[in-house]
Amino acid sequence: MSDKNNKIPFTEDNYTHNINRNNERKLDRRGFMKTLVGAAGVFAVSSLPWGVLAAKELNGLGDKKYPKHKITDVNSLPIGDAVDFAFPGEHDSAILIRLSENKYVAYQNACTHLRCPVFWKKDEQEMLCPCHHGKFDVETGAPTAGPPRRPLPEIHVKVENGAVYAVGVKRYEA
Amino acid sequence: MKRSYLPVALLLAVLMLNIIFTQYMVHQYFYENYTNTIIAAVINVILFPVAFLIYKKGVNVHD
Repeated sequence: MSDKNNKIPFTEDNYTHNINRNNERKLDRRGFMKTLVGAAGVFAVSSLPWGVLAAKELNGLGDKKYPKHKITDVNSLPIGDAVDFAFPGEHDSAILIRLSENKYVAYQNACTHLRCPVFWKKDEQEMLCPCHHGKFDVETGAPTAGPPRRPLPEIHVKVENGAVYAVGVKRYEA
Repeated sequence: MKRSYLPVALLLAVLMLNIIFTQYMVHQYFYENYTNTIIAAVINVILFPVAFLIYKKGVNVHD
């Protein structure tokens, strides 16, 4: 390396000597086309993760698997009654409601306001959180009154051999 | 030397298609139409070699 830059002040009188570089920063037609191809490449690469995620969803890999859990026998749950259980963990309390002969719904019964337990009011056909009078629609788990703003997480149930099983938790949708 | 600006116009069109399909892809993903998402992603990926070919053909065209 030459030491011409170490002389103070160095002999060159052009203090901005790195600017005049023979139009190297000029964008000509070819450079512009290169930029466009590069942009197309960026678009292509950035669409890969979306494709991968979509393929994952299509194959059902995004759903969590839980071991199926027996809740109760069909005979011990009259139509219109509810039973408490825990799913998927032993501390995730949940409620199963039998709405008709073959229609069962189950929700995790921690109120989405402050996690008080939600009860099934049979005579009023709605789910009630007694802490602040939050109410939920029994068909969908959507909040209908009071402070809660989010639906109760739904649990998928299946009837097999005269017993009701919890098989999965519906994915949370914001 | 007369230049052809047809490849430039074609590349701009490709880029416009990229934008359209990217937005379509993201929206279809959030509407949970995953097949459409994959179709849009594949089209986006295919558009890159198309753009590259247009560039290759275009740089040597002088008239």
